[in-house]
This record gives sequence, C-alpha cells and structure tokens, in this order.
Amino acid sequence: MREPLISARGVTVRFGGLIAVNGVDLDVHPGELVGVIGPNGAGKTTFFHALSGVLAPTEGRLLVAGEDLTGRAANEFANHGVARTFQTPRVFRDMSAGDNVRFGLAFAGRKRRHARDAFDNPAAILELLGLGNAAGVPAGGLTPARQRLLEIGMALATRPRVLLLDEVAAGLTHAEVDATAQLIRRVRDELGLAVIWIEHAVRVLMNYVERVAVLHQGEKIADGDPRKVAKDPAVVEAYLGEELPA
Amino acid sequence: MSTDLRRILVLLVAASTALATLPWLASDFMLSLALTCLLYVGLAVSWSMFSGATNYLSLATSAFFGIGAYVTAWGFESLPYAVVVPLGGLVAAAFAALVGAAVLHLRGAYFAVLTFGLGELVRHAITYAEKTYAKTVGRVIADPPESIDVYLTVLLLAFLAVAVCATVRASRFGLALAGIGADEERAQTLGVNTRRTKILAFALAAFFAGALGAAMAVRWTYIEPASVFNPFIGFQTVLIAMIGGAQTLIGPIASAVIFSVMTEMLRLQFPYAYLITLGVLLILLVLYLPGGMASLFRRAWKPNA
Amino acid sequence: MTFWIELVATGLITGGIYALVALGLNLQYGLMRVMNISHGEFLMLGAYLTWLAHTVFGVDPVAFLPVVAILLFVLGLAVYRLCFQRIVRTSPSVEVIEARSLLIGFGLMYLVQNAAYLAWGADMRGYSYLSDPVQIAGARFAGNSLLAFGFAMVASLSMLALLRWTMLGKAVRAMMQSPAGAQLVGIDTRVLHPAVFGLGLALAGVAGALLSMIYEITPGMGEPYTVTALIVITLGGLGSAAGCLAGGLLLGLVEAFGMHFTSPSLKMLLSYGVFIGVLLARPKGLFAR
Repeated sequence: MREPLISARGVTVRFGGLIAVNGVDLDVHPGELVGVIGPNGAGKTTFFHALSGVLAPTEGRLLVAGEDLTGRAANEFANHGVARTFQTPRVFRDMSAGDNVRFGLAFAGRKRRHARDAFDNPAAILELLGLGNAAGVPAGGLTPARQRLLEIGMALATRPRVLLLDEVAAGLTHAEVDATAQLIRRVRDELGLAVIWIEHAVRVLMNYVERVAVLHQGEKIADGDPRKVAKDPAVVEAYLGEELPA
Repeated sequence: MSTDLRRILVLLVAASTALATLPWLASDFMLSLALTCLLYVGLAVSWSMFSGATNYLSLATSAFFGIGAYVTAWGFESLPYAVVVPLGGLVAAAFAALVGAAVLHLRGAYFAVLTFGLGELVRHAITYAEKTYAKTVGRVIADPPESIDVYLTVLLLAFLAVAVCATVRASRFGLALAGIGADEERAQTLGVNTRRTKILAFALAAFFAGALGAAMAVRWTYIEPASVFNPFIGFQTVLIAMIGGAQTLIGPIASAVIFSVMTEMLRLQFPYAYLITLGVLLILLVLYLPGGMASLFRRAWKPNA
Repeated sequence: MTFWIELVATGLITGGIYALVALGLNLQYGLMRVMNISHGEFLMLGAYLTWLAHTVFGVDPVAFLPVVAILLFVLGLAVYRLCFQRIVRTSPSVEVIEARSLLIGFGLMYLVQNAAYLAWGADMRGYSYLSDPVQIAGARFAGNSLLAFGFAMVASLSMLALLRWTMLGKAVRAMMQSPAGAQLVGIDTRVLHPAVFGLGLALAGVAGALLSMIYEITPGMGEPYTVTALIVITLGGLGSAAGCLAGGLLLGLVEAFGMHFTSPSLKMLLSYGVFIGVLLARPKGLFAR
C-alpha cells in the first residue's frame, strides 16, 4: 500500500470545554480525491485548520509524506506542500488577482521549486481558472465565486502535493459547480495531488469524489465508497433521516 | 532591479548630494532646521517600513532612540563617532530582536501598549544602572564632533533609511510584510515565516532609530535618561508617519519635512497648543482619512479608481 | 510583624487603585475592542478636578467623588460619540477597530495631556487631606491611604455586583460574549456602547480623585496607569471583572514586595516582567480555566 501523502492520527481539537474534533483518523494518498461531509458544526473546517497547521491539535499527530509536522507553524505545512482555501475567501483584497497568485509563488512556491513545474506562471494559473481577464483587477473587487476560484489559484501557486478545498462550490450554479469539479479533477490528474474537499452541499460532492468521509459532532462516522456511505445508517441518522443520493 | 526602484534611488542620490552641500551654503538656523527634518525623515520612514506595512503599531521608537543615545554616552570616550553611531543602531536592533521574539506574537493592541511602556522601562533600567554601577546621574560628552559632521552623519542615515525602505518595498521581504499587514494568518498558509519576518523588520526599523539616537546624542553636552528617553520623539514619529500615510514611501518623507518646519516655528511659541492640534489632527485623520494624506493624492492620480 | 502588615497593606492599597483603573479599561476593551490608550489621561482629569474643587471651592474630596464620576461619565459619552463611535460601527473587523481606536486614543492622549499642561502648568500640585496617620493593629497608615483603599474596594465591588446581578450588567456580559446574539435578544448597542465607555472613564476619574488625596498630581501622571491597567487585564483575563480585581491586588502586592527586596526604581521592570511572563505562560490570564 502506498504511503499516505497526508495523515491525521487521532486528531483532537479542544477549545476549553468544547471538543470540536474528536479522535479523527484520515489517510489520503497521492491522486485520491476525498470528500468530507457532515452536518453543520461537525468540525470539518476545524479539522482543516488542524490539517493545514493553522491550529495545533490538542491531541494526535499530523504527518505529511511521513514527516511529523504536529504543532509546527502553518508556513511549514505550506512548505511541505499542504495548500488550502478558506470557507470565506481570504484573498489579499488590495492586491490584484495576479499579485495574489504571485504571492504563493514567491513564498511556499519558491521553497518548493523542486516540485513539478506545471504551474510556475501566474498567467497560466489564472487562465486555467478562467480568471485570465482579471489579472489586474483588485481581488477585493471580484465576485465571491471568482474569489473562490482565485483562492484555488493561490493554493496552486504554492506547488502543493495536498490540496484542501473548503466549500468551493457554495453559491455556484449547477453548471459552475460542474466546471469547478472538472477543474479539480483535471488538476488532480495532471499533478497527482491528494485532494480533500469539504462540501456542505452533499449532493454536489458525491457525484465527483471517489471516496467520502463523514464527520458528525467531531467524530468520523464513515469513510469509503460514496454509495455505500450514503446508505450507512449512522450517516443517515446524522443527517436526520434525509436519504442521501446514491 | 525594477525601473521604479532604480528611479527612486537615483532621485535619492541626487537629493542627498544636493543636501550635502548645505553646510557651506546655508545659515546655522537653516542647517539646524534641515537636521531636524532629516532626523524625522529617517525615523518616520524606518518606522513605517515595519509598522506601516504590517499594521503592528510600534510605540517603541523612543526606547530605541534612547538606547542609541546611551551607546554614544558610554562609548564616545573610547570609540570614534563613526563607530558609536552604527554600534548604537546595532544595540537597538539586538534589543528589538529580543523584545520582538517575546512579544510579536501578540495581537496588535497588546503589542502597541507594551511598546508604549518600553521607553519608560528602559529609562528606569538605565537610570538604576547608572546610579548603582556608575554612581552617576548623567554623562558629559567632552569634545563633541563638529556640527557639520553631525549633519552629514544624519543625512547619511536618512538616505540609508529611505534607500533601504524603498528596496524592501520592492523586494520579497516587503511583499511578505504587506501580506502580514493584509492578513497574517493567510500569508502564513502561503508559506511566509511570519515570526521571523516580523522580528527582522522590527529590528531593522530599530537599527535606524538607534543609529539616529546615537548620532544626535552629541548635540546634548549633558546626557541623562530623562532628556534622552523623551517620549515626544516617538510620538512625533508615529504622528508624522500616520499623517503622511504610513503605507507609502513619499508620505512619511513629505510629512516629516512639513512637521519639522512647523515644529521649529510653532513649538517654541505655542508648545501645548501645537501638540493639542497634532492630537486633533490625528483623530480627524483616523476617523475620516485612514490612509493618511498620501491616500488623497493616490486617489487623485488614479484615473479610474 | 507590623512591618509585614504595612508592606502587605501598601501593596493592597496600590493594587486597589490598579484594579479600579483596569476595570474601566476592561469594560471598554472587552466590550467594544476599543483600546483607549488615553485612559490614564482621564484618571488625571479626575485628579485635577478634585484638586480644583478642593483648593478653589473648598469642597471635601470624598463628597466630590460622585460628582467626578458623573462628570467623567458625561465626558465619556461625548468622547465616545465624537471619536470612537464611527470606528466601532464602520470597521470591517475587530482588528481594525483595535488598530484605529489605538491611534485615536493616541491623539486623545496628546490632546488631553497638553490641554492640562496648558490649563494648569507642569508643576506638581497637591493638597493635604487626612494625612494624619491612623493606627490599626499596631501598624501605621496614612488616613487618606486607607480611605482611598476603602473607596476603591467599594467601587470595584459595586461594579462586580452590577455586572453579575443587574439586567444592565448581564446585558454587558452578554454583549462581550456574543455581540450578534445580544443584539438578537434586543440589547441596544447604540445605548450600551456609549454608556459602557462613559462608565469606564468614570471609574478612571474616581481612581484619579482618590490618588489626588494621597499623592501630588501632574498632567503626566496618567500614562503609567494605562500601561498598568493593561498588565492587570492580562493578569486577570480579558473580560473578567473579578479577574481585574484579583489581578490588580496581586500586581500591587508583587510590586510592594518586589520593590522592598530589590529597589523602588525597579518597579516598572517588575511589572513588565510579570506582564511578559503571564503573556508567555498563560496568555488567557492567570485565572482562566
């Protein structure tokens, strides 16, 4: 079995008395496209914070390509190839879209020069995301949907091995979601990335991922083939009896 | 090197060369005025290099300035002027790196108030050390350098401060600082080592404040903590930079010149009224023009904002 | 033995004042993220107003305390309305509120301090009030120190009681924990914010008035208290009024003992040492869970 590219072992995140993430294990291998779903408050975004080094877990370990990065600063995660987007897009509002992408290239991207050079050109990245005509526009002036795409671009500019996408499909039309998903798959295929994709709109994600993990109240309650997971009684109950599309 | 940066540096060299001729052309009063202008250009520009970019408001300029002044006070007997000045800068920078490592992870308000008290802290520490170990209250600078030498030294420091600031702004280091100012956590997730970057920039700014303090110390023949750790220096620096527009290069420069002139003319006559006006001006600016005066001009330049 | 009692008492008395000043800043910062770096200047105003009232009009300083409180409360309403309201309402995030209010506080500090210099000059002023020593359990204290401590405690405890048991207090605490939630249940920030700000300044003013009974006053006296207030808030935990009280008293004791065993001029170093120590070891405050 190939070694996982990113691995969470028993990760727990506690805020005072509140346990947001409780003993979650997750291994993702190169080329895997894994979805993470769960009802509101399940701890998905907090889990991402732990995976990207933004938060240090209270317990548990985080390994990237076998190296233990638990407790290290977020920039070290980025330098090891973990890139992420944020649920509410956090772009540098006063910088142009092009400069936003250049930012990632200038820092983690530079440290990871040795990685495959598929994306070392901000214009190419923007073109890929359909933002080619927005290179000079201040990022704060883009629509939220386009800002989400820009965030993907910023992540790609860091030459990642692992891509963490937090609700990139929120607020998009069916056609736009489809396009975004195709884009993600294409990037994954070309670069051999491990992609973890949180999505609240479950129907969306189930059609595109090969594997899905379900979080509920901080714990992982299912992990596997989307069709099987959709029928898992624990998962169904977590979503209050809503039957998930197969 | 980008053409913009090159242009700025050429302009800078030209201006500095012109200013270097002043001692032979201008009156003593003009020279003194020019000295004050250059001092505050140096202080305001180096302050904005760190605080303007990262939005970590540092009120520690007085502390660094004072430290530099005391390096001169202690070292001038055994070391030449040309050595104590950069030494003052280095000591201040080392102190800043130490303090920065301890407190730069704090949120902005805590950092600001902590640096606010730093000047008083260092003053008390030095007063105590002087009294206990050196058994003295103040020190005398015997045989100070010529005022021309002081002027040229301060001119050099101001030139360096502006040159370094311009270079930083055009570099990756400056980009990292801007990222920290815009969204520190985000910058970190894109690979910026925010801790190291902040400490470096903080120390760099402190270097100039310290060197300027070391250079200016010889203007006082009698140095004691109370006069040298004057909080007004720090406040004036922040005020000048903010009013000019701390995120630009030209803002603090222009502002420093204007305010130095105004200070020389008004402060002696209406010291308190002048300071009250400064306070009101700062409040009005933060409320209605947060980008400082420079943002007014930037809006005017951009044809389609 | 008396010596130790006096030392502890000195620490507590100073600490009581610290607690009072910190309470005011805690309310403002904890509620609105307004870092009013000019907080100490209003302490100074309270001191000067009391001095004026006593030396010019012969008013008893203690009787004047409620007047100081009211005057500074009203001043606080005005200052908030003019200087801070816009910031609190229009800033995109709390970090921006903090940054901008810091700068405004800075300008205010310039303004208020120099207005005081202009009005009353830089010389130290003072008056004598109840300075005759009082004997308790064999130890001697100046009457005014005991009085100041007593009032500081009364004021602090009243604030605690207010916050804990009255509707107003609960509204303030609710707002500190969840601004959105509080608004949803009908708590009106447009009234509460200025009122809390005014209350904060009133507390500072009262602290200043108490200080004027014991020490001499100058326009520059307020600055060190702003820093001390922040140190106390750090010790006690932001948003915790009880923490302010405990933290203030603790800091006073640390200073008193530290000064005795080392040297009075190292007072600031001690406070800073404590500050940095707490920030590094227990950033949420000494008493956080």
